[in-house]
Amino acid sequence: MRTFLTATIGGLSTAAIYAITASGLVVTYTTSGVFNFAHGAFSMMAAFMYWQVHVAWGVPTLPAIVLVVFVVAPLFGALIERVIMRGIEGTSEVVKIVVTVSLFVALLGLANVIWPPTQSYTVLPFFNNAALSIFGVKVGWARLIALAVALAVAGGLRFVFTSTRLGIAMRAVVDDRSLLQLNGGRPGRTSMLSWAIGAGLAAIAGVLLAGEQTLSATTLSLLVINAYAVAVVGRLRSLPGVFVGSVILGLLVAYGQQYVSSEAAIGPVSLSGAVTAIPAVMLFVVMVLQPQDRLEARGATRVPTAARMPSMKLALWGGLAFVLVTAALGNLIAGPDLFKVAGGYLFALVMLSLVPLTGYAGQISLAQMTFTGIGAVAMAAWGASGSPLAVVASVLLCAVVGAVVALPALRLSGIYLALATAAFGLFCSAMVFNQQDVMPGLSRQVPRLALGPFKISSDYQQLVLLAVTFALVGIGLVALRRSAWGRRLAAMKDSPVACATLGLNLTATKVAVFALSAAIAGLAGSLAGRTFISDEFGLPASLPVTMLAVVGGIGSVAGAFMGGIFLGAFPIASTVFAANAIGVFRFVSLPVTDLVAFAPGATGVSLGREPDGAAPQMAAGFRAVGESVPSLVVSFAGFAALWLLARLDVVGGWAFVAAVLVFVLAVVPLLPLLFNPEDMGRKLATGIFVGLCTVVTVFIPWDTAIASNGMRALVIVLWAVLVVRTAIGVHGAVPDVVPRGPRTSPDMVGIDTPLTRADAVDAGRVLGIDEDELDLVTGRSQ
Amino acid sequence: MTVLELESLSVRFGGHLAVSDASLRVEGGRVTGLIGPNGAGKTTTFNAICGVVPPSSGRVLLDGKDISSAGTHQRARLGIGRTFQRLEVFGSLSVADNIRVGQEIRRSWSRRKAALPQYLDGLGDPSPDVELAAILTRLDLVALADQPVGALPTGQARLVELGRALAARPSVLLLDEPASGLDEQETDAFGDLLLQLASHGLGILLVEHDVPLVMRVCERLSVLDFGQIIAEGTPAEVRANEAVLSAYLGTGPTPAPGAPGAAPVEAQ
Repeated sequence: MRTFLTATIGGLSTAAIYAITASGLVVTYTTSGVFNFAHGAFSMMAAFMYWQVHVAWGVPTLPAIVLVVFVVAPLFGALIERVIMRGIEGTSEVVKIVVTVSLFVALLGLANVIWPPTQSYTVLPFFNNAALSIFGVKVGWARLIALAVALAVAGGLRFVFTSTRLGIAMRAVVDDRSLLQLNGGRPGRTSMLSWAIGAGLAAIAGVLLAGEQTLSATTLSLLVINAYAVAVVGRLRSLPGVFVGSVILGLLVAYGQQYVSSEAAIGPVSLSGAVTAIPAVMLFVVMVLQPQDRLEARGATRVPTAARMPSMKLALWGGLAFVLVTAALGNLIAGPDLFKVAGGYLFALVMLSLVPLTGYAGQISLAQMTFTGIGAVAMAAWGASGSPLAVVASVLLCAVVGAVVALPALRLSGIYLALATAAFGLFCSAMVFNQQDVMPGLSRQVPRLALGPFKISSDYQQLVLLAVTFALVGIGLVALRRSAWGRRLAAMKDSPVACATLGLNLTATKVAVFALSAAIAGLAGSLAGRTFISDEFGLPASLPVTMLAVVGGIGSVAGAFMGGIFLGAFPIASTVFAANAIGVFRFVSLPVTDLVAFAPGATGVSLGREPDGAAPQMAAGFRAVGESVPSLVVSFAGFAALWLLARLDVVGGWAFVAAVLVFVLAVVPLLPLLFNPEDMGRKLATGIFVGLCTVVTVFIPWDTAIASNGMRALVIVLWAVLVVRTAIGVHGAVPDVVPRGPRTSPDMVGIDTPLTRADAVDAGRVLGIDEDELDLVTGRSQ
Repeated sequence: MTVLELESLSVRFGGHLAVSDASLRVEGGRVTGLIGPNGAGKTTTFNAICGVVPPSSGRVLLDGKDISSAGTHQRARLGIGRTFQRLEVFGSLSVADNIRVGQEIRRSWSRRKAALPQYLDGLGDPSPDVELAAILTRLDLVALADQPVGALPTGQARLVELGRALAARPSVLLLDEPASGLDEQETDAFGDLLLQLASHGLGILLVEHDVPLVMRVCERLSVLDFGQIIAEGTPAEVRANEAVLSAYLGTGPTPAPGAPGAAPVEAQ
C-alpha cells in the first residue's frame, strides 16, 4: 500500500511537469498555428542553462530561476518567433513541421557542443531534497513545488485566455490573422508573445526536471513526445484536456516504474523499455478513440508550384547517367571513404521514400529510419544467403506495418501523422530494436544481396547496387507521378475536400501511399548490406532524414539525392576537416566537428525562405542542359576526360575535386547558352575562358601548395565562384531562372505591404483592364 | 421526380444554429434555387448535403434512401456532385488534368454501376479522351486546356470546377455561386448550359446572388435566412413574398445590427 501511495504521489508530480510542458505546447499551437516539435528542446536548453547559471557560475537558486524562466526563455521564444516562425506563416503544414523539427535537431546539436555529453551535469533538487511526510509517505519538496506550479499555471492561463483583451486577441490570431489585423489587432506582437509564453512554460518544466536526474540533452528533448500524448487528449487545443491527460500519463508512468521491473519479460519479449514506451502507446490509443476529423472547405491556395514534372525520357537518361557517374567516381575512391559514400546513398534512398508521401501527397513521416530498421532486421532474419525473395518479403512486411501505423492518424489531420510516426519510432526503439532476438548486442549485420551466382562482395559493388536501386526507384516514382494515381495524389494535396466530393476515399488513398513510402524505406534497409546499430533506427536518426529530404526539395527525385548526400557528407566532412576550426571573431574558434553537429538543423530552419527546397532552384539552372543534345555530349565528354586523367593518376585527388567543381558549376550551366548561335564572338570568348579555367584548375598543385584540408576546400570553392562570376562578366547578364511568385494575399495589399505598381497590374488583369488603360485610371504615367 | 430531399435538417456549430429545421426538395431535370443573404446558411446546407459537416438533426434523402450517415466520398459515389464558393481547384494541375482527375476517380468506383445520366453529348463515352474533349468544348475551355488552374481568373476556375464535377457524372449537382466572376455574356451562356444539363435529367441546386440568372433558370426557389427556410415557390411567388423582401432589405422584424442586410459571418 505504501509503495502504491508513493508511486501515486510521484506520478502526480510528474503529471504536473507534463501539464506545464504540454500547456506551453498548446498555447503556441492555438495562437500561432505551429505545432512546436522543438518544445522539449526548449525545456532541455532551459535545464542546461539553469545548470550553467546555478551550478557552474554559483548564482543562488531563486535569482537563477528568475533569470532562466522569466528573462532568457521568453526572449528566446520571442526571437524564434520573429526570426523563424513569422517567415513560415501561410506555408504548408509540412514546412511548418519540418522547420520546428529542424529547430529540434539544431538545438540538440548546439547543446551537445556547449555542454559536451562526455561530462556529467547534475543539479541538486530544491531544498537539498528535504522531504515532508504525508500519510506516512515521504514527499520531496521539489515534488510539491511542481504540483503548486502546475496549479498556478492552470489558473493563470485560464485567466489570460478568458478574461484579458490580450488573451482574446491571441485566440483571434489563429482563427484569422488578416481579419485581426484589419480590425486593428497586431498579430505580429500577439504571436511573438505566445511564443514567449510557450518558451517560458517549457523553461519552467526544464528547471523542475533539472533536479530529478542527470541532465541528458536527448532524453529531455524527447519529453516532447510525452507532452504530445497529453495534448492529444484535448485534441491539441484544450487546456483542461491537457491536465486530464497529464494525470493519466503521470500515473501510468509512475506505476509502470514501480511495478514493472527492468528484468520483466513476457515470454521472449523483454519489457525493459516498457515504461519508456508508455507515452507512445497512450498517443496511439487516444488517437484511435478520436472521432474522424471533419473535412474543411476553406478555399484551396492557388499558387502554381515551382517544381516541374520531369519527362519519362529525362528520368530514364538521368537514371542511367546517375549509375554511370557513381560507377566512375566510386572507382576512384578508396576503402573507408567508399563505405561512407555508400552511407550517403543509403540515406538518399530512404529520403526517396518521402517523395511520394510528402512530395506528391503532402503527408509527413518522422520515422522513416524505423522502417529502414524493420527492413534491415527482416532481411537479416529471412535472407542469410542474400536471397532477393527475402528482400521482397521484408519490403512487404514494411508496407503492412506502415499501413497499420498510419491508419489511426490518417483519419485525422496532417499533424497527427507526424505525431503518430514519431511515437512509433520511439516505441520501436524502446520495445523492438532493443530485444536480444531482434538486435543481439544492439547491432545486426544485414547480409549482402546475391542474385543467383552473382553475390555482392565488395564495398564498390554495394555502392553500385545502391545507385542502381536509387535510379530504378526514382524512375518508378517519376512514372508514378505521371500516372493517373500520381495525378490523384497531387489533386489530394491541393484540395482533399474536392477529391472527397468526387468520390475518392481519402483515408484509403493516404494509407496506400504511406505503405508505399514505408516499403521504399524498408527496401533501403534490406539492401544496405552492412552492420547497423540500434541507434541508427531511433527517432533522433529519423528526424534529420525527413528534414533534409524537405530541404533538398521534396517534390523531386533529385532533391532526395541532394538531401542524402548532404546528410552522408557530414561524417566525411568531420574526418577530412578534423584538424580545422572556423574562427568567428578573435576569441571564439569553432571546431568543424562541432559545426557538423548542428549545421543540418540550422539548414532546415532556413527552409521558411525556400519552402520548395534546393533542388528546384538547382534543377532550373541545369534543365536547359538536359534539353540540348550538344550540351549533354560536352558535359559527359568533359566529365569522362577528367575521370580518365584521375584514373591514370595524371591529376591528384584535390585537383580532381576542384576541376569537377569548376566544371559542374561554371562550364555545364553555360553550355546551352554557348550552343546558341546568336552573338558568336562573345560566346566563343566565354567558352574559351571557362575551358581554360578548367584546364588551369587541373594543373594547380592543390595538394602541395596549401597545407590544411580546410584551407584547400575554402580556396577551391572561392576559385570556383571566381570562375563563375568572371564567366558571367565575360558573357553578360544571364536571366534569373526561377521567377519569384507573389507572397502577400491580395486582401492584405496596402495593409501589410505598400501598394506597388505590380499589385495594380495584377488587380487590373483580374478586372480585365490592360496596362495602358490602368495608367489612365490611376493617373500615373510610369 | 424528387432526387434529393432534406427533411428538417439542422446544423449546429457550438452555440450557433447555422441551419435550423430546413426542408427542401430538388427535382431531377430542373434547376432549384437556394437564395438568401450572406450568412444565411446556404454553404452550410451544401456541406451538410455532401457530408462535409455532420447535421445535428434531420435527414438527407437521395432517391428516397437515407444517406445521412454516409461519408463524403460515399455520397459522391451515390450521385452527389458539387462546386465550392471558395474555390477548391487543383491549382498545381492543368485545366485538362483537373477534369481528368474527376474522370479517373469516377472510373475507379463506377465500373459496376448501372447507366449514369447522359446530360452532355460525349459524356459516358468509353474513351476518356472523347469525354474530356466534350466537357472542355462545352465549357469553352479548349484553349486553356494546358494552363495551370492556379493562374486562371476566378470565373474560369469556377468553370473548371464545374467541368470536374460533371466528369464524375452526378445525378444531383450542387453549385455554390458558380456565376460570380463571370461577365454578363458569360453568365448568359452559363444559364444556357444549366438549362441544357437540366433538360437531360440532371437535378441542380443553385446558390447564386445574380438575381436575373436565378429568375431565368430556376423553376422553384427556396429562400434561406438565419438558417431557416422563410419562403418557397416559383420565382414569381418568391419575388412577391414580404418575408423575402424584408430579409433582403433589412426592414423586417429581425434587422441585423449595422448596415442593412448585414448578417453574421457565415460559418464554414
